[in-house]
Amino acid sequence: MTKPKIAFFDLSCCEGCQLQLANMGELLLDVLELVDVVEFREVMSEKWEGNFDVALVEGSVTDDHSEERLKAIRGRSKVLVAFGACAATGGVNGMKNSFDLEEIGKYVYGADHKSFPTRKTRPLHQVVKVDYTINNCPAYIPELVEVLKHILKGLPYAVPDYPVCVECKFNENVCMYERGAACMGPVTRAGCGSQCINNNNICYGCRGMVSNPRENAARDIMAKYNITPELIAKKMEMYNKCREEEKNVKKEHHH
Amino acid sequence: MATHTRYYTLRKDDLNSFIVKLSRDHKVVAPVSKGYGNFAFAEVTSSNDIVLKYIPTILPPKKYFFPQRETILTFSTGRGENAEAILEHEDTVIFGVHTCDLNGIQCLNIVFSERPRDYNYLGRKDKITIIGLECSEYCDKDASCNLMNSNFPNGGYDLFFTDLGDAFMVHVNTQAGEDLVENANLFKPASPEQMAALYSLRDAKRALFKNEVAVDRKDIPAIFDKSENSAVWQKAGEKCVGCGNCTNVCPTCYCFDIADTMNLDLKSGRRVRSWDSCQVEPFARVAGGENFRSGQAERLRHRYYRKFRYSLGKYYRFFCTGCGRCTRACMAGIRLKETLAELVKEAL
Repeated sequence: MTKPKIAFFDLSCCEGCQLQLANMGELLLDVLELVDVVEFREVMSEKWEGNFDVALVEGSVTDDHSEERLKAIRGRSKVLVAFGACAATGGVNGMKNSFDLEEIGKYVYGADHKSFPTRKTRPLHQVVKVDYTINNCPAYIPELVEVLKHILKGLPYAVPDYPVCVECKFNENVCMYERGAACMGPVTRAGCGSQCINNNNICYGCRGMVSNPRENAARDIMAKYNITPELIAKKMEMYNKCREEEKNVKKEHHH
Repeated sequence: MATHTRYYTLRKDDLNSFIVKLSRDHKVVAPVSKGYGNFAFAEVTSSNDIVLKYIPTILPPKKYFFPQRETILTFSTGRGENAEAILEHEDTVIFGVHTCDLNGIQCLNIVFSERPRDYNYLGRKDKITIIGLECSEYCDKDASCNLMNSNFPNGGYDLFFTDLGDAFMVHVNTQAGEDLVENANLFKPASPEQMAALYSLRDAKRALFKNEVAVDRKDIPAIFDKSENSAVWQKAGEKCVGCGNCTNVCPTCYCFDIADTMNLDLKSGRRVRSWDSCQVEPFARVAGGENFRSGQAERLRHRYYRKFRYSLGKYYRFFCTGCGRCTRACMAGIRLKETLAELVKEAL
C-alpha cells in the first residue's frame, strides 16, 4: 500500500505549528511510518509538483497573494487541513481587523506600505473548503496526532464544543478566577487538556470559542475582577477577532 | 478478634504511623492542599501532607470510583473482530472522607448497581476502603449539609474518624475496617469517657447545624413540582456561562460520554468513557442539529431537578449532598442556597 502524500505550507504565521510537528520527538518516527512527506519547507528542500493526498496549511489569509496560493493548494489536494490557530480561526493575525487597513499598513511598513497591499485577516475556511481543523497556538501535539489518525482512517474529527473549564476541572486545577486572574477558559473550545492552566498560566482563548459562547455571562464574570471593559474586549479579540466575518463568508465557499 | 467493641481510638500522635503502615500495602489517598484555599484527594505516604481541616476538595472522591477518563475496551479492526473489556482497579484506601461525600458515594453505588450493572465502577468499589472523617463544625458558608441530612455519619464507610482533640474516635463499620484496625496494632478500645466526649461533640453539632435554607426537607419535592416555569431559572440562566464546573465537581453527577480512539498503528484502538455535563451546549444535541435543551436556563434547571426532584421518584433520595461544591466552583456566582431560597419564597 502506498503511503499518502502529505505536504506542509504556510501563509501568514510564525511557522510555530510546523515546528511543533518537527518537535514531536520519537512520535514523529511513528507518524512518518504512515505518511510520505513530499513537501515541508521548514525541514526539507524537496518540492513536489504533483497533487497531494493531504495538505496541511498553517497561517491565515491576509492578502491577495496568499488567497491565490491557498486556492492553488486546495486545487491540488484531496484533503485540506487548517493547521493551527492562524489557519483555523485567524488567530492573533485577526487583531489587524480592529484597525483601518491603510493606517495599519503605514504602521508596519511606513512610507512603503503601498508596495504591500493588505486585506482583512481570514482563516482558511472563510476562503476555501476545509476538511479538517487543528486548533491551538501553537498546535497541540496530542491533538495533531489525533487529527492525523482521523484523516488517515477517513473519519471525521470533531473538535470538542465544550469549554476548556471541563478539561481544567478533570485536571483538578485551582480555578484561575479563584486566584484572581481573568481566564478565557469558560468560552474557549477544549481539546488542549487545559495545558496553560496546568502550567499556571491563564487561557488566552487560542483555540477559538465554543460554537455558542455565553459571552455576556463571561463578560460579567470578568467584570467582577475589576477589569475594564476595554481589557475584556481585548481579551476576547486577541484570538477571536475573525469570528466577526463568519456570517458574511460562510455561504460563499461551502459546497 | 475477641472483642465486639465497634469503637476504638487512635492517638493523634499515632496517625502518621497508621498512614505509613497503610501505605505499605495500599495506595492511600487523602485531602492535601492545592493552595488558594483549595484541596484535592491525592496519594500520600505519611500524614505530613494530609489536611484534617479542609473544605470539600475540588473533585469529590468519586474520581476513584468513576475516573474522569477511563479505557473500557480495547479492539482491533482486523478480520474476526477483536474486542476486550478493560476493568482497571487498584487497591486503594481513601482517608478523610467527609459525611457529605460518603452520602455522594452511596448515591453513586445505587446508580451504578442498577442493571445493567456497571462493572468498571463496581470493580473499583470492591477494591476501595473508605475511612470517613467527621466535621465538627461547618466547613464554610456554602455548605447545606444539614438541609440535605448529610452532616452526621450514616454508613457508607469502613472506618469513621472523629477528632476528639488528642485522639480520634474510630467507628468500625465493616470487616475490612476491622482488619485495618487489627493489622495496624495502634488502636485501643474506646473508654467510657471518650464515648461521652463523642456524644457531647454530636450534641454540640446538633446545636450548631441548622437548615441552611429555611425549608423543611420533605417539602422540597412539592416546591420543585411548582417551580418548572419559575423566573428563577431564567435569571440564573443568564448568569450561567455553561462551563460545566458544577456537574464536574458534583459528588452525584454520573453522566458520561463514550468515544473510540485509534492507536497510531491504525489497526487497533480503545474505547474511552469520560465525564459529560448536561450544562454544556452539545450535551443534548443530536444528529440533525436538534438540541433538546438548547437554552442555558433549561440546562441549569435540569441540573437542579436532577438533584432535588427526579432522583426522589427514581431512587427515593435527594441527589444533593449539601457539599457546596457547585457554589464554590461557579465563576458566575450562582449559589445553590440562594436559588433554593428563591424557589421556596416563590412557592409559599
